[in-house]
Amino acid sequence: MGRSAPKSQRPVLRGTVTILLLVAIGGALCVPIYARYLPKLGGFPFFYWYQLSWVPVVAILCWLCHLLLRSRPPAGSAHRPGGRR
Amino acid sequence: MSHVDSVAFAVLVVSFLIVTLIGFVSARWRPAEDPMHLNEWGLGGRGFGTFISWFLLGGDLYTAYTFIAVPALVYATGAAGFYALSYTIMVFPIVFVFAPRLWSVARARGYVTPAEFARGRYGSQGLMLAVTVTGILATMPYIALQLVGIESVLTVVGITGSTGSALGRDLPLIIAFLIVAGYTYLAGLRAPALIAFVKDALIYLTVIVAIIYIPAKLGGWGHVFAVAAAHLKTVNPETGKPYGSLVVLPAGEWAYATLALGSALALFMYPHATTAVYAARRRNVIRRNAALLPAYTLVLGLIALFGYLARSVPAVNAGVKAAGGNAQLSVPLLFEHVFPDWFAGIADAAIVIGALVPAAIMSIAAANLFTRNIYKEFLRPAATPAQETRVARLISLIMKVGALGFALELDRTFSINLQLLGGIWIVQIFPAIVISLYTRWFHRFALIIGWAVAMVYGTVAAYRTPGNGQAHFGASAAPVFGHVTYIAISALLLNLAVSVLLTLVFRAMRLPDGYDETRPADYLADPVDSRAGPAGVPDPVPEAALPGAAFSPGPPAAPLTAPVASRVASPVAGRVASPAARSNHHSTAAWGWPQLRGGRGKHESR
Repeated sequence: MGRSAPKSQRPVLRGTVTILLLVAIGGALCVPIYARYLPKLGGFPFFYWYQLSWVPVVAILCWLCHLLLRSRPPAGSAHRPGGRR
Repeated sequence: MSHVDSVAFAVLVVSFLIVTLIGFVSARWRPAEDPMHLNEWGLGGRGFGTFISWFLLGGDLYTAYTFIAVPALVYATGAAGFYALSYTIMVFPIVFVFAPRLWSVARARGYVTPAEFARGRYGSQGLMLAVTVTGILATMPYIALQLVGIESVLTVVGITGSTGSALGRDLPLIIAFLIVAGYTYLAGLRAPALIAFVKDALIYLTVIVAIIYIPAKLGGWGHVFAVAAAHLKTVNPETGKPYGSLVVLPAGEWAYATLALGSALALFMYPHATTAVYAARRRNVIRRNAALLPAYTLVLGLIALFGYLARSVPAVNAGVKAAGGNAQLSVPLLFEHVFPDWFAGIADAAIVIGALVPAAIMSIAAANLFTRNIYKEFLRPAATPAQETRVARLISLIMKVGALGFALELDRTFSINLQLLGGIWIVQIFPAIVISLYTRWFHRFALIIGWAVAMVYGTVAAYRTPGNGQAHFGASAAPVFGHVTYIAISALLLNLAVSVLLTLVFRAMRLPDGYDETRPADYLADPVDSRAGPAGVPDPVPEAALPGAAFSPGPPAAPLTAPVASRVASPVAGRVASPAARSNHHSTAAWGWPQLRGGRGKHESR
C-alpha cells in the first residue's frame, strides 16, 4: 500500500529538508560570517542584529521543513480524518 | 543591599505563593485513571499537545541559567557570552531531525527514559547504566544552577547575603526549595507544566518591558554598546588582557562555534529535555515545536543583552564590585536600580519561578532515570507501577536535597561553568542515543568503552583548565591542536573514534552482539488517536483510548526475546527497513510495531 509512492518522493524531499536544516545550522555555526562590527543597525553592531534576526529565519526554515514532511502522500490510509492540525 | 527591599520582596512572595498554589492544584489537572503510574507522575500522562508542550519545553530549556548566567557572562566578557544565542539557534534544527524518532520509539516501546532506549536498542544493561549515571550526574549541577539563580535574586532583594549565620543566610532558599519539592512530589510533571504558563507570562512581560523601557532610560542602544565597548577594551589587571570584546575576535571564533555546537548537541541529551519530549501527545507536536520554540531563543538573545544594559548603569557596576565582582548579580541589580520597586519584584519573580520550573522537571527526570534503570532494573525487577511511582517521588526529593548541597557548598561565582561541565558529560551519550536512532552499526561494548574514555578525558581536561582566578575547572574550552575547543566536542570526537575502532575490533573478534528489541517501524510510529481533541485542549482521559500494552511498565517486546533473537542479531536491521516502516505507520493499527508485514517477522503472538 503506497509503499513506492513515498519512497520515490523521498530523495528530493529529504534532500530539500536536509539542505534547509543545514542552512539553518550553518548560519549560526559559521562564526566568521557574522563576527564583525559593521554594518550597524539601530545602534546594534552586525554581530548582534545578525544573530537576533537569524532566529526567526531558523523558525521559518523549521516550519517549512515541518510542512514539507507533512505533505507527503498519506499512503492511502483513511485513518486520519482530522489530518494534521 | 543590606536593607530588605520590602515592595519587591512582597511582590516576590505573593508570586511565589500563587505558583505554590498552582503547583499543588495541578495534581488534579487532566486527571489520570491511574495517578500512581510512572507515565502519569513522570510524564504527565504523555498527553501534552503543541501548546502545552511549547510552554513546558520553553519553561524547561530556558532556565535560570538563561536569566542570570548568560547576561552575567555578557556583562563580564562581552561577545563571548553570546554563544548561548548561537547555541539555542542551532539546537532546534538538530532537534527537528532526531527528536521525532526518539519520541516514536519511546512511545511504541513504552520507554520512560532515554536509558531504556539504549538498553532496548543494544540489549545492554551496561550501556543503560552508563546513560543513567551520566544523566543523573549532569542533572545534579544543573539543578544546583537553578538555585544559584534564585539566590542571586534573594541576595539583591536583601533577604540573604554575605552577613549573618550560615543557616539564616540560606534559609529562604531552603524553604523555597522544600515547597517546590513538595508539589513536585505530589503532582509530578503536571506541576511544572502548569506553572510554566505563569513563568512564561512573567518572563515575556519582563523582557518586553525591559527591552523598551531600559534603553530609552539609559540613552539608547548606541550609548549602551559604546559604554560596553569602552569597558571591554580596558585591561583586566589580573590577566593583563582586555576584559573582552564587543565582537568575537578571530582567535575566539573556534571556541565560540564549538561551545555553541557542543551545547546544542548536549541540550536534548539532558534527561529533563527528553522527559518533556516524551510527554508530547503526538509525533508532530515535536516538529511543530522545533519551529515555535525559537520564540524563546529570541527572548534569550534579548536577555543576554541585559548584560550590556547592566554595564551602563553605574550603580550596578558599584553593586557588583561591592559583592566581590559577582557578575551574577548584575541582572537583579539592574532591575532594582532601573525599575520601580513593584516591577522589580515582578522581574525578580520571573527569575525565581523561571528557576523553579526546570528544577522540578530535572528532579522528575532524574527520578525517572533512577527508578526505571536502577531500582526496577537491578534492585526490584518485580516492582509494580505504583511502587515505581513511590520510589520516583522519593528520589525527586533526594535529588533536590542533593542539589541544595551542591549549590550551598560549591563555588558559585561562575555557575555557567558548572553547567558546562555537565554539558561535557552529557554529550557523551550522544552516540548511544542519537546516532543509535539511525544505525545499530556500533557494538555495545565499544559504545560503553568510548563513553568511559570520553568521560574521563572530559573531566580531566576540564580539571586542568585554569581560568576565572581558579587553577582548576576554570573554563570549559581548552586548546586542542592549537585551537581552543569546547571540551565536550573534543571528548565526543574521542568517544566516536574509540567506539568506531573498538566496534571493528569486537566484530572481528565476533563478540556477541546484544539483542535489539526495537523494530524499524517503531522509529516512525505515531499512535494517532483520532478522537483526541485539538492540540492543547485538555483531554479528560488522555491515554485511555490508546492501547494499554504500550504503557505497561516493561517494554512490550520483552517476551519475544528468545524466538526472534537470532534474526535481530543483524546490525543493519535499523537501516534497511524504514520504507516498510513508513508504509506501516499509517496502517489501521495505530501502533506500527505489532503488525509488521512484508516478511519481516510475525509478532502477532504478542
